[in-house]
Amino acid sequence: MADTVKLPEDSFKPISADDRTALDSEKIAAPSLTFAQDAWRRLRKNKGAWISLIVLAIVFIMAFGSIFVSPHDPNAVNPSYANLPSKIPGIGINGFNGTLVQAGQRVDAYKQAGASNLHYIMGTDYLGRDLFSRVLYGTRISLIIALVATLFDLTIGVTYGMFSGWKGGRIDTIMQRIIEIILSIPNLVVIVLLILILKPGMTSIIIAIALTSWTNMARLVRAQTMELKEQEFILAARTLGERPMQIAFKHLLPNLSSVIIINTMFTIPNAIFFEATLSYIGIGISSPQASLGTLLNDGQKNFQFLPYQMWWPALVLSIIMLAFNLLGDGLRDAFDPRTKE
Amino acid sequence: MKINSAVKLGTVATFAAVLLAACGSSSSSSSEASKQTLNWMENSALPSMDLSTSTDVVSGETENNTNEGLLRFGKNSKTLPGVAKSYTKSKDGKTYTFNLRKSNWSNGDKVTAKDFVYAWQRTVNPKTASQYSYMYAQVKNANAIIAKKKPVSSLGVKAVGNYKLVVTLTQATSYFPALVASPMFFPQNQSVVQKYGKKYATNAASNVYNGPFKLTYWTGTSDNWTLSKNTKYWNAKNVKLKKINFKTMKDPQTSLSQYQSGKLDATYLSGQQPKNYKNSKQYVERKSASTFYIELNEKKDSMMKNKKARQALSLAINRNQFVNKVLADGSTAAKGLVSTGLASKNGKDFNTAAAVPSATTQDLTKAKKLWKQALKETGRKSYSLTLMADDTPAGKNSAEFIQSQWAKLDGLKVTNSNLPFKTRLARSQDGQFDAVISAWGADFPDPISFLSLFTSGNSYNNGKWASKSYDKYVKAASGKDANNADARWSDMVNAQKTILNDQGIIPVYQQGKAQLVKSNVKGLIYFPTGANWDFSSAYISK
Amino acid sequence: MAKYLAKRIFYLVLTLFIVITVTFFLMKLLPGTPLTNQAKLSKSQIALIYEQYGLNKPVWQQYLLYLAGAVRGNFGTSFQFSDQPVSYLLSSRIGPSLQIGLQAMIFGVIIGIIVGSFGAMKQNTWVDTSATFVSILGISIPSFVLAVLLQYYLGLKLGWFPIAEWGGFIYTVLPTLALGATPLAESARFVRTEMVDVLSSDYIELAKAKGLSRTGVIYHHALRNSLIPLITIVGPLAVNIMTGSMVVENIFSIPGIGEQFVKSVLTNDYPTIMGLTIIYSFMLCVVLLFTDILYGIVDPRIRITGKAN
Repeated sequence: MADTVKLPEDSFKPISADDRTALDSEKIAAPSLTFAQDAWRRLRKNKGAWISLIVLAIVFIMAFGSIFVSPHDPNAVNPSYANLPSKIPGIGINGFNGTLVQAGQRVDAYKQAGASNLHYIMGTDYLGRDLFSRVLYGTRISLIIALVATLFDLTIGVTYGMFSGWKGGRIDTIMQRIIEIILSIPNLVVIVLLILILKPGMTSIIIAIALTSWTNMARLVRAQTMELKEQEFILAARTLGERPMQIAFKHLLPNLSSVIIINTMFTIPNAIFFEATLSYIGIGISSPQASLGTLLNDGQKNFQFLPYQMWWPALVLSIIMLAFNLLGDGLRDAFDPRTKE
Repeated sequence: MKINSAVKLGTVATFAAVLLAACGSSSSSSSEASKQTLNWMENSALPSMDLSTSTDVVSGETENNTNEGLLRFGKNSKTLPGVAKSYTKSKDGKTYTFNLRKSNWSNGDKVTAKDFVYAWQRTVNPKTASQYSYMYAQVKNANAIIAKKKPVSSLGVKAVGNYKLVVTLTQATSYFPALVASPMFFPQNQSVVQKYGKKYATNAASNVYNGPFKLTYWTGTSDNWTLSKNTKYWNAKNVKLKKINFKTMKDPQTSLSQYQSGKLDATYLSGQQPKNYKNSKQYVERKSASTFYIELNEKKDSMMKNKKARQALSLAINRNQFVNKVLADGSTAAKGLVSTGLASKNGKDFNTAAAVPSATTQDLTKAKKLWKQALKETGRKSYSLTLMADDTPAGKNSAEFIQSQWAKLDGLKVTNSNLPFKTRLARSQDGQFDAVISAWGADFPDPISFLSLFTSGNSYNNGKWASKSYDKYVKAASGKDANNADARWSDMVNAQKTILNDQGIIPVYQQGKAQLVKSNVKGLIYFPTGANWDFSSAYISK
Repeated sequence: MAKYLAKRIFYLVLTLFIVITVTFFLMKLLPGTPLTNQAKLSKSQIALIYEQYGLNKPVWQQYLLYLAGAVRGNFGTSFQFSDQPVSYLLSSRIGPSLQIGLQAMIFGVIIGIIVGSFGAMKQNTWVDTSATFVSILGISIPSFVLAVLLQYYLGLKLGWFPIAEWGGFIYTVLPTLALGATPLAESARFVRTEMVDVLSSDYIELAKAKGLSRTGVIYHHALRNSLIPLITIVGPLAVNIMTGSMVVENIFSIPGIGEQFVKSVLTNDYPTIMGLTIIYSFMLCVVLLFTDILYGIVDPRIRITGKAN
């Protein structure tokens, strides 16, 4: 493209000495931010992530607060009020007004049970326990399981993967074979054994998750580390004589953050579903404890007749997942040095 | 005596034949005959067809329809003539002589007394490793053969010619006719078993049948299998169904949907399904001969050894609420250890004769009082126990409910522990439990099947409850009074009363099965023990 | 490359051997017996039957006998399906599991890649948001809930697909959808995230500056370079899905091996546990080997020999 625009002569003029002192090319105008400050600033700018953070905070407060304050005792049995659907005072929409379809007819289940003056906002289960209290209780158990799994992912998984990928060679080979072995031994054998040694319940499930869940993270981090360590900035850091530990934390970790965060977003539902599947098989937590998984599993069995028993826990689980994921996206954008403004 | 039972059987047979003929005459047109297909569901796949080694209900049910023993079960577990036209019993009740009819295997071979001798010897042969061989305990020398102490040929069963079978027992066994109507006593065709060797009965083709139907499709591991009418069956003219398609449905939602869309003619209901179909015309409740009860570990500490504590735990449970509101699937509150409907005398059920209401009903005030006394007597302020149960939905429901009931007793803390079935069994047998919800299903329709479990030192008696008078009654019922129906009956009644009065176990409920059956399916025969179903007189009406 | 492969195959055999050994001894610690009639057998009866099956021998002897049999292709007889050799049981039931698993993987990964790429290209628009939403939904709903919903609405209410059982292709649609949700969600998320990174890197700018077409840039550079995490994740996931999901197979009455996996452990069916472990472990090791090879093909920066720096 031949540019033929003629510029007027006064478009350019030589820089003066005064100008030179005013314009310090080495000077940084904005205040210097540490990595964490920068990430925090970026996170705050992301609306979705902020809302998710608030939603999660509410869910956590409600789930853990229900230890102290709960609308009903989650384990209080009252068979005469069994299987009452949702009834929220003031809402007349089918599904929230205490009616349900029985043999093709919509009937007021509360009237049938002689409980017209009561209302359970999420209804009751087959033993007449308040579903809302049980969902809160279940959310707490599921969150604990998810968080423990995440903890192991982030500690064992990330360290193992980075070490294996960084060292390479024989160490890498051996470490990868160990992962293969852990992945290959049927989880179920391990869990049933744990139930035998310990007791059925949370502890066995958490240990089983701890033993097996970090492998995916380790493999992802290793693969990414192998890719990163060949890149120039690592070479530069190494040439500058930085110690491996420094390189790992200052250079590798931020660049791994997107993979780590995204995988964590899968660890959380996977841990929750792992527990749910165990309860489908029958070796989950013992009754009358509940988790979102067991509630979903119980609800799924009665879906044709009592759909609310599945919809409520499913809704809560979906909200938690959505919030975790949007927050995860926000965190990823905030922590990844490659993200552009 | 001899003639008597033979005549009885004969009348029943003629009566049944007349009845069947009456039903049959209404449907004869060819278009209707082609519709004679029944689509039936099972909860698990058919794992085995080997009469000697199969153990599960699905196998038993299929075998009961493809094969036939000396006798066969009719409604309410009545025994009807099968391959045997009639039988006689010696005075001392130790020798049975069966007179066989002339009948054929599906490959044309004759069914002879030798087939029974071969089958029975094969089952007790230690090399076969049958898990049901203990059912032969009453047959002479069976126990010694199973323990490798005597040769297989010494078993107390002899063929006299082709059509007479003589069985010698170690002691009189009044329920022996019910035993020979069970699949593990069915005949086996020696030449076929030997021809297929290891492959015998591992698929539809490597087997031979002498019952109303024959297996025409089954790969050995498939989820579906098909029975077709066996034209070689001696009573084939009274078999209406042309075909039965068995389908494995492991999920109750799926089978209900399949039923609703017309792919199945019957389905079992579970969970909350029965409540929604209670008023349907297609809704049927089937009682099974299995009782769920709680065993308390008396070896563990003084509290469970205390009778008042045991009674308090029993009195705290509202069984009617549990079966009607929680299970609501046709299960009934247990009236005793023995299941109701299993045995009766002069039209009176065993549990009516041997009822101890205080051991099977709720009385919370009394429970609280007894519990307080028990705590005091054992010098305790409070007591905590773990309730062990299966991890099945029913197991979880029971544990949750009983925990909530026991929570009403002051100073009692209950924790639940739901375990996989085999783990639960192993722990029960090793005495690693405080309280456990156990179940027992009768192998044959006689109260002794339940009562023999709780004699002292019996390996099924996990709670280690012991009573000398109970032992005495059970021993008399299967020993000195075995051939005296009245004395035996009162022995068994006394035994159940003893264990209930002492609350050796806490009976909870008797299992029931809720089922939907299309209204055009007629003539199904259900019996509460063992194989459960006989389709030989079933048909599709229209 | 050939040397590398030979080495890896040697490792594969070694891994298999260790897995077999560890699993064998672990499963022998499981409580209970493999007998199907355990509830009705007394201890002395169990002892008599154990003798017949050779289960009364010391565990190390049983282990050596098992190894000797396995080397000759004899994996024992199943306890659940009595008299059926484990090899027959598994080979006759693995077909449906493999088919549905494979379909679900192909469906899930392809749709996932498309959804993820669109999301990345239209970053922070409504396309991106809905792509995120779809993939989050896929991982928020457990497969058994999704299976029940699909079965109830598409099967029973609308009657578009068969409710259950096993027949032609039409029978595989609903289970494929139910199983495919997880791979779809996982691939969409990973592809989107990686692609956002890659799209903003210098070599993509260069490719754009050189005047490469948009699809060319996406296909040749962006997609290819964002596949590393996907490949890592997809391998084990595929093995997991293809060895059968008990939940989905039970709901759709599919004659696969999903339930055997669970039941064999819960019923102490030792030969079946071992058979399944060997199949699973073998598939997994092969997939992991392929994954490592693929790393090199997809991203030439990774040296397959993994030479120490």
